[in-house]
Amino acid sequence: MTTVTKQTNQFSSQAPSASGLWRFLRVFLGRKVVIFGTVIILGLIITAIFAPQLAPHDPYQQNLRSALQQPSEQHLLGTDQLGRDILSRIIYGARVSLTVGFVSVGIGSLLGMTLGLLSGFFGGFIDSLIMRLIDAIMAIPPLLLALALGAAMGGGLQNVMISLGIALIPGYARLMRGQVLTVKQMDYVKAGEVIGSSDFRIMLRHILPNCMSPLIVLVTLNLGVAILAEAGLSFLGLGISPPGAAWGAMVSDGYRYLLNNPLLSFAPGICIMLVVLAFNLVGDGLRDALDPRLRGTL
Amino acid sequence: MTHLLEVKNLKTQFKIDGKVMQVVNGVSYYINEGEIVSVVGESGCGKSVSQLSGVQLIPTPPGKIVGGEVIFEGVDLLKFKADSEQMRDIRGGKIGFVFQEPMTSLNPVLTVGQQIVESLILHLRMTKADARIRAVELIKMVGIPDAKQRIDDYPHQFSGGMRQRIMIAMALSCNPKLLIADEATTALDVTTQAQILEVLKNIVATTNTSLLIVTHNLGIVARYAQRIYVMYAGRVVESGTTKDIFSEPRHPYTIGLLKAVPRLDEPKGHKLVPIDGLPPDLADKSPNCAFLPRCPYRTEKCLEDTWPELKQVEGRHYAACYVNIQRKRLNFYVGEVDKTKHALSKTLDSIEQQAISARSKILEVKNLKMNFPMYKGILRSKVADLKVIEDVNFEINKGETLGLVGESGCGKTTVARCILRLYNPTEGQIIFAGQDIAQLPKNTLRPLRRKIQLIFQDPYSSLNPRQSAGSIVGEPLKIHNLAKNNIEYQERVAELFKMVGLDPSMKDRFPHEFSGGQRQRIGIARALASDPSVIVCDEPISALDVSIQAQIINLLEELQDKLGLTYLFIAHDLSVVRHISNRVAVMYLGRIVEITDWKSLYENPLHPYTKALLSAVPIPDPFVEEQRDRIILRGEVPSLLNRPSGCNFHPRCPVAKKECSLNVPSLSEVSAGHKVACLGVT
Repeated sequence: MTTVTKQTNQFSSQAPSASGLWRFLRVFLGRKVVIFGTVIILGLIITAIFAPQLAPHDPYQQNLRSALQQPSEQHLLGTDQLGRDILSRIIYGARVSLTVGFVSVGIGSLLGMTLGLLSGFFGGFIDSLIMRLIDAIMAIPPLLLALALGAAMGGGLQNVMISLGIALIPGYARLMRGQVLTVKQMDYVKAGEVIGSSDFRIMLRHILPNCMSPLIVLVTLNLGVAILAEAGLSFLGLGISPPGAAWGAMVSDGYRYLLNNPLLSFAPGICIMLVVLAFNLVGDGLRDALDPRLRGTL
Repeated sequence: MTHLLEVKNLKTQFKIDGKVMQVVNGVSYYINEGEIVSVVGESGCGKSVSQLSGVQLIPTPPGKIVGGEVIFEGVDLLKFKADSEQMRDIRGGKIGFVFQEPMTSLNPVLTVGQQIVESLILHLRMTKADARIRAVELIKMVGIPDAKQRIDDYPHQFSGGMRQRIMIAMALSCNPKLLIADEATTALDVTTQAQILEVLKNIVATTNTSLLIVTHNLGIVARYAQRIYVMYAGRVVESGTTKDIFSEPRHPYTIGLLKAVPRLDEPKGHKLVPIDGLPPDLADKSPNCAFLPRCPYRTEKCLEDTWPELKQVEGRHYAACYVNIQRKRLNFYVGEVDKTKHALSKTLDSIEQQAISARSKILEVKNLKMNFPMYKGILRSKVADLKVIEDVNFEINKGETLGLVGESGCGKTTVARCILRLYNPTEGQIIFAGQDIAQLPKNTLRPLRRKIQLIFQDPYSSLNPRQSAGSIVGEPLKIHNLAKNNIEYQERVAELFKMVGLDPSMKDRFPHEFSGGQRQRIGIARALASDPSVIVCDEPISALDVSIQAQIINLLEELQDKLGLTYLFIAHDLSVVRHISNRVAVMYLGRIVEITDWKSLYENPLHPYTKALLSAVPIPDPFVEEQRDRIILRGEVPSLLNRPSGCNFHPRCPVAKKECSLNVPSLSEVSAGHKVACLGVT
């Protein structure tokens, strides 16, 4: 078969699949703001992990004599009303924010994606059932859910994470369902059926990997949202209980001292703002880099 | 003589992903008043971009016109800025365009009348009232019935063929001197294509408008064009009158194209000669002839020198090639049939036919019906049934190829999907391997699936973009536990790759790294993996370039010989079906209207629809085309929701009688093996 050898020798010298990664990085890091966002997030992660090493003081150490001090060499951002070092509290606060962010988004995305996948794939009765469940979840305001859970099971971070997680489920479920409905139409899914794949195999091997791009973007965006929500909830007194350091709680506590010691509220507030902004920028960058670059037709 | 349009040495670049592609690389052509000229080439050759560059419609961030002149009625258009008033006057006013995709080229929120009137008011400065009258005239001219009422309809209320006619009406509305049809009929059915091209031809004749047809279909070119330009990799490689080029092609690419295309009048068993290799990479800056890697006639000179310039062969016939290819070195024909070959293949045919009918039935479809429910309203209540397949009966014998042809909406793809149980048939039986698989539960069906496989039409959507080629091909092995261990699995995957002409070392690459033809080979390898006995080929080559189609057809034939496969070959390209099939069935609106062996169908068609279908297919040979009869059907394919009573074809049938609207004809045998569903025949 001379046709065979001719064909293979003339395969154009395109680089192997590493080019996909290269192209992704090139687009993702192509915009300066995205690099800015990535740096901030990396900074946040490092701060959270190495908090004990980075914080100059013990965040819980009260010292009423040096309360409400302005920034100095000792306390770079000053002290709060109980004499605690603001900078250290902010550094430890990063841990809370990150934990809440990742856990609640983790719960929301895993449950939401599973529901969306089943709903979109099977359609019919299962689809209706799951979608009505999602509607029910969406009907409950997350704040109310957090309050209810707080009242029923006591306050604390755990319940904040659960209620946020539940509140995030509908977003993932609907997005995943929409993606599944589109991907289901593709010929390669039909091909999977024709060669005899089981439903499970088709879902996991053919449908799921091709739905992930927008969901990954949603995860990064939701991380910012979750952190902001936690800040809001702890501002309202739900969430972490004192003396725990959380950014939202710090903003709330510092509210009374805004005139003379604005840093009590502003410092954690600016951190919240930067982190949420960073996640949004990274989410944008991911969306540009993933969509439609890595889709089948290039 | 001054030409109406003369393009001189046009050069257009596109910058994509950091690479600069010379999409149009020094193209020159001209067209005179009242002429029909065709620019021919495959995807990526630069034929469309040349036209768009001429009117400066290319998107200028990635694209850029970097050289040349476009002289229209004595004025160089490239001197004007792209968004200047002069250019806007020319576009639509002097040069009209008809694009490929009728579904997306009309604005869905404006009525058809509004869109035409807009153009008239803009260019001819008519009053609204006058413009409306003219619009009705135009719609009538392109053959839309009830023009006065339909002018206020929206685009979605028209079919594809009608939308294309409206596009033509819009393009003609301002009496342009030149009409450019860029693959205007590629997305349409054969019979609709024939209607549209006749409309264009009549308009040219009556209004002396010039027509420039951009296409890859050599049949259309042979039937309609007076002169041709053949393009490859951004340059014109051959030009001349249609008859010159078809009777004495000089450039190896043109010769390759003509040899690779199946014809309605070739002898059976005639082997298509594909063009080796892959389409050119436009970012490649090498100065040599771009066709070099694929050229069977190349010499030392081609390797040393740069792209050859267009040299005169004779009269108006030019070719860009160093090699002087004499006619007698070619072993194919144009305008005459090689009689000895024909006689030999006739004997082989009859032996083959006898052998086939002696074999056993491997797949039988009885009384197949397929309905899709239609839901409306807030409560999604079922309103009606879309009856896609009304009553289909056929059988396929072991080792043969049954071709299934029909236009869009006839239900042939639905038949394929019912057989593969991608749909659950509403009624009917599908008998395979001694069992009726039509209603078999999925778990019982699974082991049987090994034996019937499907090759899909679209090589781009039929492969999972996140799965490597080797994994795609080997998946059936894993599902059915056909390999005892990993070594055996890898060996079998490598064997499958080689069988379809792919290098096994490419098994870790992903689909987007392969070309369309290679992707289709992966699809074929996947279908072969479970060692099937029947393969349903659902338009396996329609999405591929002409030069690659021949490669795949030859591959399918080879595999059939080697492995004893049975094919159900579904296509709308009648020449390809004739080439590859033993028997052919013709479908119309969910029923089979004629089924017989290939010879009887193509040489002695009995059903009026079959006759019209065959006459609508252009043959890539201008001498033959001159002498053919044309049967142009009235009207369009009716919607499935408004099935005509009695014989579904009667409203368009040139020989319909009164009884045809009353009774549904059944498929009955007229002569040995030849069944027709027509009251006029039986």
